[in-house]
Amino acid sequence: MSSTEQGTSSAAPAEPTTAPESAAAPEVPESFYYVHGKDKVVHKVSAGALQHSALIHGMISNLGYTEEQAKANPFPFENIDGDILQMVVDWCNQHKGKPTPPEDTNLPKQKEKLFDLVLAVNYLEIKELLTYCCKQVAMMVKGKSPEEIREIWMIPTDAEDEAAEKEAKKRAGKEAAGETAAAAGDAK
Amino acid sequence: MQLSKYPQLVQNMILNNMEYSDLFIFSFVSKKTKKLIESSPRMKRFKSVNTIRYEHHYDRTMVSIPFHQFHDNMLQIIESDDAENDTFQLNVCGKLFDFGIIYDGNKYYPVAFSQADNSLIAAIHDYLLDFFGNSVEYYWHALDCRKPIPQLQNISACFNLAFANSILDMGRFENFISSSPVLKFIDMYIENTTAPFSPESKFYQAEHIDTYQFEPTLPDTLRHFKGRQAFLEYLRCNIHDVIELVNKWKSGEAFNKLEVIEVKISVDFNQNEIMHAIGAKHIDHAKKPPTHTLPKVYRDIAFDEEPNTDPITSYTYVVRETDSRVASVLVHDRTFNFGVWDKTEDEFLRIMD
Repeated sequence: MSSTEQGTSSAAPAEPTTAPESAAAPEVPESFYYVHGKDKVVHKVSAGALQHSALIHGMISNLGYTEEQAKANPFPFENIDGDILQMVVDWCNQHKGKPTPPEDTNLPKQKEKLFDLVLAVNYLEIKELLTYCCKQVAMMVKGKSPEEIREIWMIPTDAEDEAAEKEAKKRAGKEAAGETAAAAGDAK
Repeated sequence: MQLSKYPQLVQNMILNNMEYSDLFIFSFVSKKTKKLIESSPRMKRFKSVNTIRYEHHYDRTMVSIPFHQFHDNMLQIIESDDAENDTFQLNVCGKLFDFGIIYDGNKYYPVAFSQADNSLIAAIHDYLLDFFGNSVEYYWHALDCRKPIPQLQNISACFNLAFANSILDMGRFENFISSSPVLKFIDMYIENTTAPFSPESKFYQAEHIDTYQFEPTLPDTLRHFKGRQAFLEYLRCNIHDVIELVNKWKSGEAFNKLEVIEVKISVDFNQNEIMHAIGAKHIDHAKKPPTHTLPKVYRDIAFDEEPNTDPITSYTYVVRETDSRVASVLVHDRTFNFGVWDKTEDEFLRIMD
């Protein structure tokens, strides 16, 4: 598990603690990058671990940052909660340079955490972890009745869908009318 | 956790990881969820290749999807007046029925409770037709003859009966078979029956018959078969029945739809006697005879990996008088094979040029 310290801002990150290394020391010194989420806590992660994320890997592959430059320019992921980013970093570290197992049982059991993790992992394009997460989400409705599934995944009823659709149409109509009126006003 | 907040890609990945039994239940959550499933890449893939299997035994019908080496149970239908406590109602094609969830064979799947009539079966079949589409193949396998196979749209009726150490009640059997649709496939193992099969029985209209039988006349498939493919294994068999079959085919008197027949017995066939009696013709031994094989009329894609009938490669053949169609004939030890070509004798001989 990586440990972190509370950062002050993305521009002036606090000194982060180092993520755990794999047992065998690499012959070539490994490069590190820095990421932070909504909570500004900066995580130092090796390029090897970050390879799991197609998004970050794409970002760093041509940067050629020095250690100092990387530290000074952490990647901000303001749309990801700090604890969720921590989970992602931990997962990337645990699976650095290793083939991913067919199942991962260490995913959060609380549905809101899992929901946020899925969104984060999808955004960061971590294919294997996304597969595990989607499996876990699918497992949540195993053996459930339609009403139970509706509750777990917060799915509106047909009546609610219809009401929402009507409301959206009404709003769109109003907006269009407003735009027409504004255009007419401009023309005058 | 709001599923609709996920991007389409993630929603599809979640659906990809759901079992068909869960997808079936999920489709009842709302109209939108049903549409979501129907438009998912997973469902599109399914519609292009798969089959749905109904397997009826006693008072239960299991609806499953055959995959490699197993049938994935999606739903069970039980004829029962007393639905268990923990049930819920679902609107299946405009009618409300009781459903529950059971855990069996290491998985959860829904169970629907029905009256003895076919209203639930019909509603579920309509629902599946709508859900999975017309391109999917639907097979109904009856494992006993208590209840006729229902007449449902796009259903291929199959009958599988392993009836060892008992006597088949012919009255019940005839009632079953006459009230069922014409069967596509029969796989039967019986020792004896309470009465002979009627030569007019719908049994003989089955497209594909696979039997292991003690008495060659119970059923008398060699005389009365009207279907396309038959694979018969007898404890004993009169060689003249095989000869008669070939000669009736040659004259155009019977077996007009026959594509392939295989007869296996427990002793060797007399090859010379058969070939002489059927007036077999011979291909020049300097040539390589063509191999006859056809797609099987039916196969359980879960357990029968071979999509085609066994190859028949033979130097001997016969010709039908009415249309010059050719059939390869192969007699080898205890097996007699007969494979009809979609070719006249001239066309057949030209294959080897």
